[in-house]
Amino acid sequence: MSWGPCFFYYHCPQCGKRFKYATDLIADLGPRFGLCPECGAEGVLEKEGARTPDDLQYEEIEE
Amino acid sequence: MAKKTIITAAVTGAWPKKENNPNVPLTPAEIAEDVYKCWQAGAAVAHLHMRDDAGNGTMDKNKFAETLRLLKTNHPDCDIVLNLTTSGDLYATEETRQIHLKELRPEMGSYDCGSMNWMHSGLFINSPAFLTELGNNMQEWGVKPEIECFDPGMIANAAYYLKKGVLKGPLYFQMCMGCANGIPGSVKNLLFMKETMDTLCPGSNWSAFGVGHSAMEILYAAVALGGNVRVGMEDNVMYSKGVLAESNAQFVERAARVIREFGNEVATPDEAREIIGLKK
Repeated sequence: MSWGPCFFYYHCPQCGKRFKYATDLIADLGPRFGLCPECGAEGVLEKEGARTPDDLQYEEIEE
Repeated sequence: MAKKTIITAAVTGAWPKKENNPNVPLTPAEIAEDVYKCWQAGAAVAHLHMRDDAGNGTMDKNKFAETLRLLKTNHPDCDIVLNLTTSGDLYATEETRQIHLKELRPEMGSYDCGSMNWMHSGLFINSPAFLTELGNNMQEWGVKPEIECFDPGMIANAAYYLKKGVLKGPLYFQMCMGCANGIPGSVKNLLFMKETMDTLCPGSNWSAFGVGHSAMEILYAAVALGGNVRVGMEDNVMYSKGVLAESNAQFVERAARVIREFGNEVATPDEAREIIGLKK
């Protein structure tokens, strides 16, 4: 049984961008995990889960 | 002769719903049709979960039976290997997790080789007593275990049960990469899983899948490392970044292209039976 990726869903407190990071990237990305891809600000964690219904509104960040 | 690579289609799982992707099959009729289309596209093994009428994961044996009946009745030409889950509902009893194997006698069933936290919120329990009973029962019922491993410790656990006689070699592993609370999905980690398997359970065969961002990385790496592959909406509802999958067959078609471009051939169900060590 698998359950797809688990994401942390964020919004940026500066530019408002919505984005998400898969939690299995925490180790690889280190301090970059959770940063806004546009302005580099620390994202505000909204929720976590596996593909929430509004998932597509959040850009997936992998690097 | 080119190496044969097995494609397993995991079409449903216990988690994604229509709101995640409207193309996820949930009813026995939808699942049976999807399995047939995946077989036509090159899948040799179908890993099956069931859903209740509300779309939640269930181990209801009647749902399994109905799906198999529909597949057999509507598509008698389909000789795909059936692999039924034993872990389709976190709240199922140990009895309901295996009774469908006893009654339906599929060629394969999943064997999740250890316990873990589930999505940082629940427990996925596979106790020593359950794994011992399940392993012994699967031997008695002629159901080949697919050893699902979410981290290297589960491979060590498989070696323990192999030594005890609860599992019988050669084993067939499914490396589950990138699931929450399991090993992250990366080539480096897949190589470590494979090397651990080769050391602890030599002579075993294996397959792998990655969820989310690691799906393609693990697909290519599994083929390159001589393994087999699993694809489907149980593991990924997105075909690519930001793009919902149109069907399970779409995943199978892509895997078949990757296998052929690499220089391998897509294994037929009978070839898969030989590789995995099944008795038809």
